[in-house]
Amino acid sequence: MSAAVVTPVFVESSDALPIVSVLIAFRSGSAFDPPGREGLARIAARMIRRGAEGFPAQVIEETIDSLGGELAADASPSALTVHFEVIRRNLEPFVDLVAALLRAPTFDEVELGRLLRESEAELIESRDSDRGLCSRAFRRTLFADHLYGRRVSGSIASLRSITRDDVAAFYRRHLARANAVIAISGDIDEAEGQALSERLLAGLPLGEPIADPVPPPARKPGRHLVFVDKADRTQTQMVIGGLGTDANDPDHIELTVANNVFGGTFTSRLMQEIRAKRGWSYGASSRVGFDRQRDAFTMWTAPKATDAAACLALELEMLHTWLDVGVTAEELTFVQQYLIRSHAFEIDTARKRVHQRLESELFSLPAGYHEKYLERVAAVTVESANAAVRARISVTDLVIGVVGTHAEIGEAIAKAIPNLASVTVAPYDLE
Amino acid sequence: MQSTVAAPSAKPLRRAPYADLLAELNQSQPPTARARHDATVAFGPTMRVERFVLGNGLKLLILQDASAPVICLQTWFSVGSRHERAGKTGIAHLFEHLMFGETEDSAHGAFDRLLEEAGADTNAATFLDWTYYHTNLPKDALPLAMKLEANRIARLVLRDPQVSSEKEVVANERRQRVDDDVDGAVSELLYQAAFRTHGYGWPTIGWMADIQGFTTEDCVAFYKTYYAPNNAVLVIVGDVTVAEVIRLTQEHYGKLEASDIPVENVLPEPPQTEERLVETKKPTTTQKVALGYRSPALGDFDHAPLVLLNEILFGGRSSRAHRALIQEQEIAIEVRGWIGSFRDPGLYDMFLGARGEHTVAELLAALDVILEGVKSAPVTLAELDRAKARLELSTLQGLESVAGKAEQIGFYETVLGDPNELFHRLDAYRRVTLSDLLRVARRYLVSSARTRVEVLPDGAAADDDDDDDDDDDGEEVAS
Repeated sequence: MSAAVVTPVFVESSDALPIVSVLIAFRSGSAFDPPGREGLARIAARMIRRGAEGFPAQVIEETIDSLGGELAADASPSALTVHFEVIRRNLEPFVDLVAALLRAPTFDEVELGRLLRESEAELIESRDSDRGLCSRAFRRTLFADHLYGRRVSGSIASLRSITRDDVAAFYRRHLARANAVIAISGDIDEAEGQALSERLLAGLPLGEPIADPVPPPARKPGRHLVFVDKADRTQTQMVIGGLGTDANDPDHIELTVANNVFGGTFTSRLMQEIRAKRGWSYGASSRVGFDRQRDAFTMWTAPKATDAAACLALELEMLHTWLDVGVTAEELTFVQQYLIRSHAFEIDTARKRVHQRLESELFSLPAGYHEKYLERVAAVTVESANAAVRARISVTDLVIGVVGTHAEIGEAIAKAIPNLASVTVAPYDLE
Repeated sequence: MQSTVAAPSAKPLRRAPYADLLAELNQSQPPTARARHDATVAFGPTMRVERFVLGNGLKLLILQDASAPVICLQTWFSVGSRHERAGKTGIAHLFEHLMFGETEDSAHGAFDRLLEEAGADTNAATFLDWTYYHTNLPKDALPLAMKLEANRIARLVLRDPQVSSEKEVVANERRQRVDDDVDGAVSELLYQAAFRTHGYGWPTIGWMADIQGFTTEDCVAFYKTYYAPNNAVLVIVGDVTVAEVIRLTQEHYGKLEASDIPVENVLPEPPQTEERLVETKKPTTTQKVALGYRSPALGDFDHAPLVLLNEILFGGRSSRAHRALIQEQEIAIEVRGWIGSFRDPGLYDMFLGARGEHTVAELLAALDVILEGVKSAPVTLAELDRAKARLELSTLQGLESVAGKAEQIGFYETVLGDPNELFHRLDAYRRVTLSDLLRVARRYLVSSARTRVEVLPDGAAADDDDDDDDDDDGEEVAS
């Protein structure tokens, strides 16, 4: 059976530049990591470039560079992706290389050990990023034992437990043609793209489609503060949020439109009140996350440590107002115009267009999700936008993540949050 | 035999490109608004940039690209942090914020609001040599965007409340990017120690005390000095016609008056004869070190070979440093190198992050072996070819969107005076030989002209340092 028969392949041609970009996405990802083996999907992905039959790791790297190409393999909660981009004249040998890597990975023990140690060191290094620490504390608390609460890159303990057999088994089960979706863009036509896909996946088994193991996440009742304590912070990274939206929600577009009023643009409420009027934070925004199941709604700011409690109190007040009063007709019209008129930049390159098609397939988006986007945005009313906010966003069930120096601002932060159900203070090197 | 000699036929006079169009558009225009076609500039093998100049000195660069109904409009000003002076550092970057404020014709916030309503996204960036303002817009929003852009070049309102508010925002930006960020702080220390005379020594975002000390008068003076049409390059890439762009430029920018841009008081950096060392402590779990070797200016003949050498040393997983320090010896978690792309000589800066308990001393010992290697013997031809292929791909990748093209055009026009310098560099990379790499390795990887910033985790004891330095602002300990 040809790859084209079982694998959706999307091609967007553009001869603007002599480059071809190929994204192979497998319906897999860290959500499938077995308990105690967190990080396995990512390790399996990264092992793809660390040895295949006839291609030791160093030869792979040198071949990629000599052909003027780039190769990236990684995992997210709901996908394992292999992406490459190459100068057009070297497309053929590059496809041969990637096909060989996919067909016959060796999972060399020495390379695996090296990758596991490198991944462990990366976890330690990531403690330097306050924003990363804040995000991690927030998701760990909001999603708790749910699969979305785990780290794609695993933990030091879980990485130490991963074996070669784990990696090989994961790879064999997940990297199958029945689980793949391919998006190709650039200096290539449809027929070439289909033929290229066939060659890329020729060595993979047909396999079985694997169901998404992620259950819908449950709302975490009450208000919870998780404070990541780090010395000498002059600034405070803060995130406030809870559960957000699912692409299959009937009010999904309504919520995304309303969120743009609240914190999605440079002239949004959060930006105006926190940055423009008060100068409290360089950035102030809100976002509704996106995955196969309901992901998080988040509000982000980074005020000076001495402004943090006041900023947090204002954000909570603004959240209340957004739910209680809602968006106005003027705000809604403004944001609809922005989203509709700026939409040209969502589809202005072949890569963006083809990735929309891949996303629809990979995430099983409702029919017409991208194609009818403008129509659905235009149809949002004040009533439907405000109903979506009230239905999906909560002011009583919130997680507040903060990275700062606890001895200096911990008490003030806690006082700024009425009706706190719990406070957790975590060292910044907890994970 | 009869012979005839044909009289040379009179060659038809070649009309200047756009002569008819400009004759029509220039009618009834004041001298400041009259446009002339300066050149058709090749931008790679297939694209062409049309360069026009208005009577007031404004340069206008147009690249037509009808692949999508979108446009990128960028305005590049030849002013960056190098044009500042001690005590007023960061003012070029402050303008990156102030320029989105009130003008004589529009209220505070109107700039962003009107453009967002039209479907546009705006941003800005400042660096050592330049500042640019960026707008991505749907094609029908071009008249509005050009009107607003022109307006803020000459009619910005600078009052105390706006200046105070933006100073606060910038102070927070500094906390985020520098004070609470190890990489940002280290980079700042490196350039401060390496440049004692030239303006490249102070940070683009400015010292905190300077940011907090700006007055409205400082801002007005800076604005009047540098924000003028004859200090700007307008770059427009996208689904446009040349005629409509010139017409809009004349309409909105044509009345702007040129300024006397001051001659820059450049102070070249004296030769560095001894290695400089700065030690600092940060709340981080691992040791790190940044190194700055002297590097040539972007327009220097040696710049391209040095960029290729950097690819061989630090570019990707097959590079020498990655292979040795991360894969084989497992003493580093991060290695990277970058050659400054500046108008004047800058730094070849390198950054190494230690893994676990490994030390800066181990990192430096391992790196020195690698650097000695490229100074003592030629690299291989395969390494050179890989570096060339990597740079060709990354150059092409930067041109995918209208914004990417506009950025390259604006950058090379502003720094080197020619957008096609981007592609001249690709040609230069192709010509580089093994001998060139040996020469630049020996010329620039000179330890006595190196600056070094070492980062120790808070609580760690600094090696052989008698000073009890609890200050994390960094202290120069050797020179």
